[in-house]
Amino acid sequence: MLWTIAGTSLRETGRRRAALLLVVALPLAFYAARSDMQGQAIRFLAIGVGWAVATLALFSHVGARHLDRRLAVVGTSPTALLIGRQLALIGMGLALAAGYFGLVALTQDVNRLWAVGLLLGTTVLIAAPLGAVVSLVLPRELEGALALLAVMATQMIADPEGALAKTLPLWSTRELTGYAVDPVGSEYLWDGLAHFAVVALVCAGAAWIAAVVRLRPQALPEPEPEPVVL
Amino acid sequence: MTDQWHESFARLLVERGVAPGEARRLAADSRDEARAAGLPPAELFGPAAAYAAGIARAARPAPLAALPRARGPVVLRLTGVTKRYRRREVLRGVDLTLRAGEVAAVVGANGSGKSTLLDICAGASKATSGLVERTARIGYAPQQHGTAPYLTADEHFRLFGGAHGMGAKRAVATGTHLAAGLGWRPRAGTVAAQLSGGTRQKLNVVLGELHRPDLILLDEPYQGFDQDSYLDLWSQVYAWRDAGAGVLVVTHLLHDLDRVDHVLELKGAEDR
Amino acid sequence: MRQQWLHGFLDLCLLCLLLERRDYGVGLAQRLARSGFGDIPGGTLYPSLLRLEKQSLVRADWAASDVGPRRKYYELTAEGRAAAAERVAVWREFRDVMDRMTAATEVERP
Repeated sequence: MLWTIAGTSLRETGRRRAALLLVVALPLAFYAARSDMQGQAIRFLAIGVGWAVATLALFSHVGARHLDRRLAVVGTSPTALLIGRQLALIGMGLALAAGYFGLVALTQDVNRLWAVGLLLGTTVLIAAPLGAVVSLVLPRELEGALALLAVMATQMIADPEGALAKTLPLWSTRELTGYAVDPVGSEYLWDGLAHFAVVALVCAGAAWIAAVVRLRPQALPEPEPEPVVL
Repeated sequence: MTDQWHESFARLLVERGVAPGEARRLAADSRDEARAAGLPPAELFGPAAAYAAGIARAARPAPLAALPRARGPVVLRLTGVTKRYRRREVLRGVDLTLRAGEVAAVVGANGSGKSTLLDICAGASKATSGLVERTARIGYAPQQHGTAPYLTADEHFRLFGGAHGMGAKRAVATGTHLAAGLGWRPRAGTVAAQLSGGTRQKLNVVLGELHRPDLILLDEPYQGFDQDSYLDLWSQVYAWRDAGAGVLVVTHLLHDLDRVDHVLELKGAEDR
Repeated sequence: MRQQWLHGFLDLCLLCLLLERRDYGVGLAQRLARSGFGDIPGGTLYPSLLRLEKQSLVRADWAASDVGPRRKYYELTAEGRAAAAERVAVWREFRDVMDRMTAATEVERP
């Protein structure tokens, strides 16, 4: 069932051509805007990928809300519905990340190129469940998109050393970008990965709880057999 | 002109759910019939679309031999079901006992809580108080948003088949067969958003009966339904019943209620 | 109103005509017209015949004709004959009831 959900979700999202085009274009715009500064360019690219995947996840989950409810009522587990859609989104996100990894490899001479791949991948793994959380809390596309805008814009503007920045979901991209671009020690790598692990766990856990709360049907008892009248 | 009539007649038959082989045969018959009568087909049979609708209805395989109707075990029992949204009371003290092989119609004005009651029976919504008992194997066709706009009919069948543990092939074959019963043949590559309102509702209904459930909860579609589709739907309701399912139908158009076993009239909050 | 009534009784009329003798579509239409039903459009007649065929009350086969194109002939099956007898009985009962219902209007008529 998981793969059926993932497969149909992949086709469904693939048919939203305009949304897909924007998802592909957004990180490119971010990347091109700062291409003169390697570190900034890569960090903004990662945030762009994260934003795009989170928005796609938001649209996918919001669009499927009524259908998922119907499927849950007739016996599909909310967990399978969530994981199936997430698998499709993570697959698309990783394909997008791979494309941009290729672009960076071609256009920039990066100190530790593999770390760019790592940071784009971790961004996707955070963004997909993040979009799901937002969709389950704010069940309409406009409100959800505004919430993501607020989070991502704050992420870009906030002072990276401040306490606020560390509570935002994609703070790890900055540490990992530093590790990839600058000749710094591995503490940047571990700080980044630790932050990623915590955020990914929190997002996935919150998405799962929200999905179960929203989708799980009422447990209704079987009718009592009537007493036999002799 | 004449050829055009016959070609579009054959195509319209297929769209109405007639198997392509039989549609070809019926079109050849009409061609010969018109030739024998010495009249152009449009004059003998009328417009191709109307004639195709009539022939498709007549050609549909008779529903499986009506089984002797037996009332089975209780599949749904509501005891004092009440629903309140904040201060507004939508349902008050609803009681119903529905057995396998029975049809219950839920009637009432707009806003009287018909769809809410259906959601409560499905388990999609929680009753504020009262007891809902129902069998586990249900089919559920809500009035709105029952289908995904970017999926084709076959993808819907696979998805819902998967929910019931059916293989993809069987799900598509069953779905296609049931669609033909409602006078519709799903076309590959057409997503739900491109279907007409009435056809989308047929898809919605088929998804609710895909796995031969013991209890079917149906919010009767009426938007975009023509008279023939509406009658087909109700003969389908009685076919489900005769096959031993319990059927709860929310009805908006007050279809002849003397054939159903229970009529549940909801008064609505406005009247109080 | 007549048209609506006829719609409900067309199957029975066709069964009765075919009980007399086998016939083809245009022939049945002519006999219906002669009986006083007026012109029955092909769009109504042929779906009815197909429905009877699907219910196995009627058997249809194409017969080549010496003069013109081949024709589809319809005849009753054994089931069809039984159905005709049964439906005629039901109709007579119904007609008697209707006669009693409508008898009052004849009295009132000036």
